Amino acid sequence: MNGAQHLIQALEQEGVDVIFGYPGGAIMPVYDALLDSKIRHILVRHEQAAALAADGYARATGKVGICMATSGPGATNLVTGIANAFMDSVPIVAITGQVPTSLLGTDAFQEVDIFGITLPVVKHSFLVDSADGLGEVVHEAFRIAATGRPGPVLIDLPKDIANAVAEFAPAPSHGAAISLKPAYKDITRAAELMRQSSRPVIYAGGGIGMARAVSEFRDFAELTGVPVVATLKGLGVLPPSHELFLGMMGMHGNQAANFAVQESDLLICIGVRFDDRATGKLATFAPHARVLHMDADASEIGKLRAADAAVVGDIRFALAQLAFVLPISEWREKCAAAKAEYAWKYQRSSSGEIDARYFLKRLSELAGEDAVVTSDVGQHQMWVAQHWQVARPENHLSSGGLGTMGFGLPAAIGAQLGRPDALVINITGDGSIMMNLQELVTLRRYDLPVKIVLFDNQALGMVRQWQELFHNERYSEVDLSDNPDFTAVAKSMGISSFRAERESEVEPAIGRLLNESGPVLAHVAIHPKANVWPIVGPGKSNSEMLEEEAR
Amino acid sequence: MNTFTYQMRVRHSEGALVRILGLTRRRRFDVIQFFAQPSPDGDFMDIEMTVRSARQGPTLARQLANLLDVTSVGFLVAEKAIAEKAIAPQAASVAC
Repeated sequence: MNGAQHLIQALEQEGVDVIFGYPGGAIMPVYDALLDSKIRHILVRHEQAAALAADGYARATGKVGICMATSGPGATNLVTGIANAFMDSVPIVAITGQVPTSLLGTDAFQEVDIFGITLPVVKHSFLVDSADGLGEVVHEAFRIAATGRPGPVLIDLPKDIANAVAEFAPAPSHGAAISLKPAYKDITRAAELMRQSSRPVIYAGGGIGMARAVSEFRDFAELTGVPVVATLKGLGVLPPSHELFLGMMGMHGNQAANFAVQESDLLICIGVRFDDRATGKLATFAPHARVLHMDADASEIGKLRAADAAVVGDIRFALAQLAFVLPISEWREKCAAAKAEYAWKYQRSSSGEIDARYFLKRLSELAGEDAVVTSDVGQHQMWVAQHWQVARPENHLSSGGLGTMGFGLPAAIGAQLGRPDALVINITGDGSIMMNLQELVTLRRYDLPVKIVLFDNQALGMVRQWQELFHNERYSEVDLSDNPDFTAVAKSMGISSFRAERESEVEPAIGRLLNESGPVLAHVAIHPKANVWPIVGPGKSNSEMLEEEAR
Repeated sequence: MNTFTYQMRVRHSEGALVRILGLTRRRRFDVIQFFAQPSPDGDFMDIEMTVRSARQGPTLARQLANLLDVTSVGFLVAEKAIAEKAIAPQAASVAC
C-alpha cells in the first residue's frame, strides 16, 4: 500500500462516509486510492464550497467533516472555509495535496505554503513527512478536531509521500474523546454565586450544542428556572416558545433578552465567548452582573470580561451538578412580561410587497421543527435568527464568527448529505448567493432536495442599512440592481425555480417549495429598503437599541 | 503597558515556534525577548518569552497552553507596570 491508500484506509477506520473535494495534480494519488474505497466523494465546483460543505456536515451531524483539495490554488481556496470552521469551533479535517518534498521551498508549480497560511485559523496542522506515519496522523487529526473545543485540522500531504510504499501499520485506536471534569471547588463557588443571585440570566452560546449538552442544559434551565438568552449560535438550546427563553441577545436581538441581561445581577455564561455582536459596548454590558463562566476552553475565561467564578471542562457534568431550584419567581415573571411586551409583531404590508420576516415565520411553521435551516450572511441571516423557530442548535447552521457570505448553500449540501432524511432549507440573499452560486450544479448532480429561498432586495442589504443609519445615507457600492434573472440561472443549472413578489404569493410559494420534490429555488423579491430591527448601533450599549419607529 | 514573561516546554514539531510567535502577535502582545534552547533530554525545546501589552497576561498564557505543541506554560512574572518608553526599540532583542 502507498501513502494515499493508507490515508483512505485511516479515513475509513474513522467512519468517514463522505468527502467534499476537488481533484488536481498534487492530490491525484489520493483520488486514485479513493476509487477503491466505499467513501462517497462529492465533487463541488469550487474548493471553498468543499470546506463549507464539510463545515455544514459537521454542524448538522456532530461528526467530523472532511474536505480535500490539491496544492496551490486548490488549497488557498479552502482557507475561507477553514477559517469559518475555526471561528465557530467546528470539527473538520482538511486534506491538501502538496508538491513533492524535493520541490518544497523551490516555488514549484502550484506550490504554496498552506501550512503557514492556515496557522492562524487551524486548531492544529500537519505537514506529513513519512508515509509510514500517515495513518497515525489521520487518527490524531480526528482526535484533535473533535476533542475539547472542536476546530479544524489541516493535513498537508506531499505527492511523493502519497505515492511512497509504506508498511502496513495498524493505527493505534483511540477511544472516545476525553473530557475534562471540572474541579469540585469551582462547582462549589459557582453554586455559591447562584444562591446569592436574585436576578440571574443564562447567556447561552454555541458551546452547548458543540458539547452535545442540550439535554443537560434544558434540565439545568428548567430546574433552576433561570431566564435564558442565546447568541446566534446558541439558538435552539431551548425552543423559542419555552417560557424561560427570552430570545437572541445582542445587536439584532430581542429587546426582552437585552433588557434581562442589562438588569441581571448574575450572568451564567455557558459556551460563550463574549462576541462583540452579542455584547455591544463591552464596558456597559450587563453592568450590574457578576459573571459565572462555564466553557470547555480555559482560554475564553477572562478573555474579554473578568469572571467571578469559572468552571472549565465538560459542561454537561457542570450543568448536572448545578441544577437546583432557585427562588427567583419575581424576576422570572418580570422577564416573562418583557418577553410578552417585545414579542415580534407581524403586520400586513400596506404595499402588498412581501415581508421577509413574515415569510420566514410562515415557512418555519410549515417546515416543522425538525427542518434544518442554513443561512448566508446579511439581513436575511438576522431575520432567520429572529423569526425562525429553531428547535435544536444542529438545525440552525449560520456563519456566526467569520460571517461568511456564501456559507449557506454549501452548508446545506453538507447538511443534506449528513442527514439525508431531513428537510434542508437554505435562506440566502442576492449578494450571498453569488458567492457560491456554482454549487447549484452540485445540488443537481447529486439530486439533493435542498430548498432555497433567495430574498432579493437588489442590494447588499446589511451594508446598505448601515450606510443609511450610520453614514448619513451615503450609499457606496451596494447597488445590485443589475442582478441576473435568478430563476433563469437556476433553470440553466437544472434547478426548478420560480419567482414570488406579492404578499398574496407567500402561501403558494411556500407550498410549492415544500411540496415539490428535488431541489427548488424560490426567488422572493422584497423591498430594497427593508431593514433589520431592532439594532444596536456600532459602539453602543445593548441598552440603546434603535427601533424602526426611531428611524 | 505591562510586561509578562512565560516559560514554555515545546515539542519539536513542524511550525511550533511560528505558532507561538504568530499567536502572540495576533493577540496583540509584542515580543521583546525570546530565548529557545533544547531541553536537557533533547526531546523538547525550552522557551522563555517576554512580551509587553495592554492586554491581560494570564489570557495569553491560557491561549499558549491551548497550542498542542506546548506541553507546559509557566507564567513567571506577574503583571509589572513599566513606562512605555522604558524599553527602547533598539534594546529589544529576539533570539530564536
